[in-house]
Amino acid sequence: MIFLRDRRTAGFIEFGLIVTCVVLFVATGLLYVSQARQQALLTATVRSSGWVAYQGQLEFVKAEAAFSKVTPAPTAQGLGNLLLRMEILRSRLPLLYDSDEGRVLSDVVDTKGLTQPLETLLDQVIAEIETLDPDDGATTRRLEALHGRLLPLGEALQRILMESVAYNQEIFRRERAVAEAPEVVSLVLLFITGGCLVLLLLLQGRRDRVRLREIVDAKAAITAMEENLRAVIQAVPACVAVVDPDTGHATFINSNAAALVAATPDDAAWPGFVRAVRDAAGEPVGGCWGTLTMAYTRSTGDIVSLRGSICSVLWQQRPQQLIVLADTTRVRSAELQVMQAAKLATLGEMATAIAHELNQPLAVIKMAVANARRLLDPLPGGEGVMAKLERISAQVDRAKRITDQVRRYGRMPSEQLQPFSLRHAVDLAVGFIAEQYRAANIRLTIDANVPIEALVLGEQTMFEQVIVNLLINARDAFDAGRAGLCARQVTLALYREGDQLVVSVEDNAGGVAEDMLPRLFEPFATTKPTENGTGLGLSLARSVVRDMNGSISVQNVGGGARFLVRLPLLPSAEARDAA
Amino acid sequence: MTEPRTMLICDDEEELAHELGEYFTSAGWEVEVCIAAAAAIDRLQRFPAPQVLITDLRIGPVDGREVVAAARALPKDGPPPMIVIITGHVMNSAVAADFDSDTLCVKPIDPEELSAAIESFLRLPPT
Repeated sequence: MIFLRDRRTAGFIEFGLIVTCVVLFVATGLLYVSQARQQALLTATVRSSGWVAYQGQLEFVKAEAAFSKVTPAPTAQGLGNLLLRMEILRSRLPLLYDSDEGRVLSDVVDTKGLTQPLETLLDQVIAEIETLDPDDGATTRRLEALHGRLLPLGEALQRILMESVAYNQEIFRRERAVAEAPEVVSLVLLFITGGCLVLLLLLQGRRDRVRLREIVDAKAAITAMEENLRAVIQAVPACVAVVDPDTGHATFINSNAAALVAATPDDAAWPGFVRAVRDAAGEPVGGCWGTLTMAYTRSTGDIVSLRGSICSVLWQQRPQQLIVLADTTRVRSAELQVMQAAKLATLGEMATAIAHELNQPLAVIKMAVANARRLLDPLPGGEGVMAKLERISAQVDRAKRITDQVRRYGRMPSEQLQPFSLRHAVDLAVGFIAEQYRAANIRLTIDANVPIEALVLGEQTMFEQVIVNLLINARDAFDAGRAGLCARQVTLALYREGDQLVVSVEDNAGGVAEDMLPRLFEPFATTKPTENGTGLGLSLARSVVRDMNGSISVQNVGGGARFLVRLPLLPSAEARDAA
Repeated sequence: MTEPRTMLICDDEEELAHELGEYFTSAGWEVEVCIAAAAAIDRLQRFPAPQVLITDLRIGPVDGREVVAAARALPKDGPPPMIVIITGHVMNSAVAADFDSDTLCVKPIDPEELSAAIESFLRLPPT
């Protein structure tokens, strides 16, 4: 197994293998053709060249045989036969070098060089044989001599034959080798080609595996990303829904969307919701919708304000629409509250200004009444008018009280709140009121369970006024006639509740009329006779307590009313240091 | 032998100024009424100072403290022995000293209370 980190190198090797395969294929083909041709050539060569040498040798042997036959007893017929043999031999010799076969043979052995000198010798022998007389007694001896002269020719022919045979044997051997070789070579080439193919397959397989792993990794990454995306969408503090653009059915919703519209995407509420969103979004401009604001009535009947956007997305390979909406109900509500507060602040300023301006005509009336009374005084019978003047003066005083309260109520809350001891402030307020309680025969019980060091943050004088108001209200409640016959009793309790300090003022004067309870702290809500109350005391108290980040409430308990003022406890200096 | 009781009232609220003047006139005071700050300052600088100066704090566009300052600056016979500020525009926390006056009255004024305060301040026998 070849480990290739470099894909480019792998590519080169693959290309090389392909080229090798092609080259080897062509080479195998060429080899086959060339071997076939060579074999044919060799076959021809072997046959012809061997045949020529063999024929030469054969004729020589025949000539020798003729010699041997005629030499012991020379006859005319024998000599004629010998001559014929010698002539045939002579005609054979040129074939050894001057024929197609002989030329092939001369490549192996110098046939021309060997035979040509012997041809002359043979010619001489032939010429002598022609001169022989069978009846001559010397013929036998001369034949033997001639025979002896032919020996070199025999040797030469023998050599040529031997060389030819050896050559042929060599050629046969090579032919056999060649005949065997193609199998080996082809086999080798086949193996190489096969090896190349296997390598190719391995490389391809490896590359495919790598690619597959990459694809699998990429898919895993996409899956993980999708999971992360889902988690993010779930965690987003907004309603996120993926909806089908055609049917309006939800494909995916997050928990906020589920809580807002319906728990499951299959719910029938979704198409209606999607329609409402699309209506709010209007027509898309260039495939995009802008920010949309809408109100949606939930199945519970609550109306929520929503703000967000809609856009086209590809969700799980399908074109979908993504709706993202934030619940702005609280923001809207807060905006409305701010607007309301601003309106109230303006109203407060106007009220203060009106109170100031009213003081001017009130002052004139007051002065005019005083002068009228003085003018009327010496005149007889003016008692009735005097009573009316008294009433006018009293009503001016009442109006003045109202304008005073309004001016106090409409004051700007101080930004410089100071820490002060709650118990100390309550003590001061009680000291202010104690005499009035004694005069009204009311038993005032103080139940202070808060240390003198416990601090709250605010304007102490204003807070004292709050306690005074509550105590005066309690006192006045006894005069309102709702009290039973039991002893007049007011309990002022101070205690701590968690991080809060609570001031409780409780009377047994019969309680507040139920219909008054919800709006008791609203301006001009009063249970007192018009001569005593302005209807602003409790409203002012609420304003002061709120400035101190506290709250004030009322409830009817037993035989009376209980006012609770809750204020955040300011951590003591030690506690602050410790923190 | 009692000295004539003299008083200068300065308030652009004409009806109030006149009612106030009428009240104190009937109580035996020699009262002059000015409904403009300039007239009051002019009066203070040309004639002997009254015993009591009663001025509004907001006389049209003019600050009543200018009238008080003019009175305090009188060289000849000295400033009026008593200066009273009457106003409908002052905060509850304000005191007379804030305006360099001897008494601060918030409108609507109770004339009897004011009269008593003046007599007490100047140690005059009650009328």
